[in-house]
Amino acid sequence: MAEETQELQEQPQTHYSEKEKQEIFHGEFMPHIHSMYNFGYRLTLDGDDAKDLVQDTYLKAYRFIDSFQKGTNAKAWLFRILKNSFINDYRKKSKEPNKVDYQEVETYYNSEDVDRQITPDLRVEALRDMIGDEISNALNALDVDFRTVIILCDLEGFKYEEMAKILDIPIGTVRSRLHRARQLLKEKLSTYAKSMGYKNTSI
Amino acid sequence: MNPSTPNPFVVNGKKSTCMEMLQVILDGDCTSEQKEYFKQHMDKCMPCFKGYELDMAIKQLVKSKCCGDGAPSDLVEQIRITISQKIS
Repeated sequence: MAEETQELQEQPQTHYSEKEKQEIFHGEFMPHIHSMYNFGYRLTLDGDDAKDLVQDTYLKAYRFIDSFQKGTNAKAWLFRILKNSFINDYRKKSKEPNKVDYQEVETYYNSEDVDRQITPDLRVEALRDMIGDEISNALNALDVDFRTVIILCDLEGFKYEEMAKILDIPIGTVRSRLHRARQLLKEKLSTYAKSMGYKNTSI
Repeated sequence: MNPSTPNPFVVNGKKSTCMEMLQVILDGDCTSEQKEYFKQHMDKCMPCFKGYELDMAIKQLVKSKCCGDGAPSDLVEQIRITISQKIS
């Protein structure tokens, strides 16, 4: 059995009736379908893969619905299953290597020099002209782990603690990964801004 | 700022850096005291002011541009039907 499903079975179980299962599924799980699809799409970067991933996730959620505690955060629970399914079923297939050295990131974040770092020169005015796919493309161009924290935080509004649970990483790592992700996104946006003709001259 | 007011960003005796403050403020993962402290801090710290302005603009832009068009209706329908059929 896959590790993730084993983990779901090891959680405290509530024995719901068939009627309760349906109510939870349609009332608490289905309302997140659009966020879930967007998450799946941003992870796989492919519409068909995203559909498969979301469908698998929802079927899994139903199968292991007894592991879900009513009144807890259904969205975070679903996102966690989707993320694990992605890692187990899709990431292995994909050619994208996990090349991020988090130790290095952590050290960087905690260093004294961090406030004096060189921030990519990007101005708010340049962002106003990014009305097309620039932002979306810049986000998709990030390494999947960096992409993920931005999606969870900025798109879905999860708190650091919830993100830590969804991703199985400590809160300190959530913070440092998020910081690094934003720096990288800024670098990409800065490149777009330059190509649109924004000069780095200060006011 | 009243100098007697304790800095709400001191964790385990260590003062948060500007960047650490900015991040928790940006993401709203902070107390109201921290928010108030940072607001006053920004008046004196240009990098924080500019950083906050830019990061907030990007955060809002990400939110408005990257939410997609929602799940395809055939997917939603298929999941609904599959699950509804599971009633024994």
